[in-house]
Amino acid sequence: MTAIARSDDTVSRRDAPANGLVKDSMILGGRAVREALRTPDSLLPTMFIPLFFLVVNVGQAARIFPSSDTPFLEGQSYGAFQLPASLLLSASFGAAALYLVEEIEGGYFDKLRAAPISRMALVLGRLYAEFLKTAVVATVMVGLALAFGIRIASGVAGFVVLLVLVSAWAMVFSGFMQLIALKSRSAAATQGASMVFFPLLFLTPNFVPRDQLTRPMEIAATINPVTYVMEACRSLILHGFDGAALGKGFAVVAVAMALMLTLSVRMVNGYD
Amino acid sequence: MSAITATGLQKTYGDGDKRVEAVRGVDLDVERGEIFGFLGPNGAGKSTTVRMLTTLMTITAGRALVGGIDVTADPHGARRKIGVALQEAGLDLRQTGREILTLQARLFGMNPATAKGRAAELLELVELDDAADRRVKGYSGGMKRRLDLASALVHEPDVLFLDEPTTGLDPASRITVWDEVRRINQLGTTVFLTTQYLEEADQLCNRLAIIDDGRIIREGTPSSLKRELRDRTGSDADPTLDDVFLDATGRTREKLAGEVKEVR
Repeated sequence: MTAIARSDDTVSRRDAPANGLVKDSMILGGRAVREALRTPDSLLPTMFIPLFFLVVNVGQAARIFPSSDTPFLEGQSYGAFQLPASLLLSASFGAAALYLVEEIEGGYFDKLRAAPISRMALVLGRLYAEFLKTAVVATVMVGLALAFGIRIASGVAGFVVLLVLVSAWAMVFSGFMQLIALKSRSAAATQGASMVFFPLLFLTPNFVPRDQLTRPMEIAATINPVTYVMEACRSLILHGFDGAALGKGFAVVAVAMALMLTLSVRMVNGYD
Repeated sequence: MSAITATGLQKTYGDGDKRVEAVRGVDLDVERGEIFGFLGPNGAGKSTTVRMLTTLMTITAGRALVGGIDVTADPHGARRKIGVALQEAGLDLRQTGREILTLQARLFGMNPATAKGRAAELLELVELDDAADRRVKGYSGGMKRRLDLASALVHEPDVLFLDEPTTGLDPASRITVWDEVRRINQLGTTVFLTTQYLEEADQLCNRLAIIDDGRIIREGTPSSLKRELRDRTGSDADPTLDDVFLDATGRTREKLAGEVKEVR
């Protein structure tokens, strides 16, 4: 090895000011995006599994709900009704948590913890990348849906709101998965825990509106916060801008995000 | 001012019957500019002590100052003073060597241009410039260690913590790391090094401490520890650091079925 030469900007290196939460999160998020680009195979299931469910569900139920005879479709095909469920499914894989476990097991997480960066940035960095990845996947899925005649009733602005809502949900879901990763430090436990969250996606007005569910399912769907995110997405596709539905959907995401971040920072601060 | 001061450092896990005292009141005083060796058998408390000193683990009782900063009261301030290379070379295998160093420099507050320059400088330093743009996944064990060491140096820390830096390395790579540790130290960085290799401690360290069962049981320069053992046992032959270690930890060597084994 060659000898170390301390250059003139030694002082600026040693005394460089701290970045702050946003900058640290962006730096770590950039790394996670690069990681995603280098492992495109990990992105494929997040797109193809939801599309598979979309095709199968529409294939099974479209004849029961013809658009001409089904008021809740608001003139669209049954695929338009099913699209939000597929978008939320694609946002609920929580790949960030599995990468985090890998980093914990390999020791890189400790390297990051030993750096003078905001503890919240350690959590937010990967979630920021999760937001971007989900936005890209959701754009492709909606693009495919448009090719098959589905319309976004709220227009381009509504499409952007839809992307924000679905991508923010991906952050929330991945954040809770990261919490489990931090607690368990095990890939198996983290993957297993996703199975606990997964049913929440199906205790929703997935196939028909809430008021047409059986009573027990209606109660379950009403209690389930995911219902309100799904209904907000659905309103943008079928109806237009529905303030009440969007308000509830974004409120669920905001509350869940605040809870997830609070718990995550507590977990990272107490992490031994 | 000392580089590292620890007073009554303790780490306890669990409660009741499951209570484990990993570190039971360690006192340390490491002078600036020293290479200080921290030796001990597996499970003695070496890594736990390092993790407490580097803010990676909470301290159950006692106090630790690194670079004059209390690691519990101001962990952020302490992190700016220290570089850390732990037992497992903590690297992101999907990134290239250059990306890892640039990222680390950015996290220490450097702007993109300074970070890029610092990464190039360190890659040259650890002779990884040829492999700089290859993903770390394809690096050998020695290359990963050198990159890990480089990443601990991006911000030119006052105190460098190396937790078993040569474990698993071939002899040539080990000597390369030793040379680099000496060079880093000559430039004024205090080095706190844990190792299981007594030869490594003998070669590198100005002073050392031996920890066993969570307590420091010997402390001094390698020569003073050997001299103390020779004087105490009245031996004619000069003891080695191995003898000091075995005497301190109460272990002996037994030849059994052709193998030399260390037993208690």
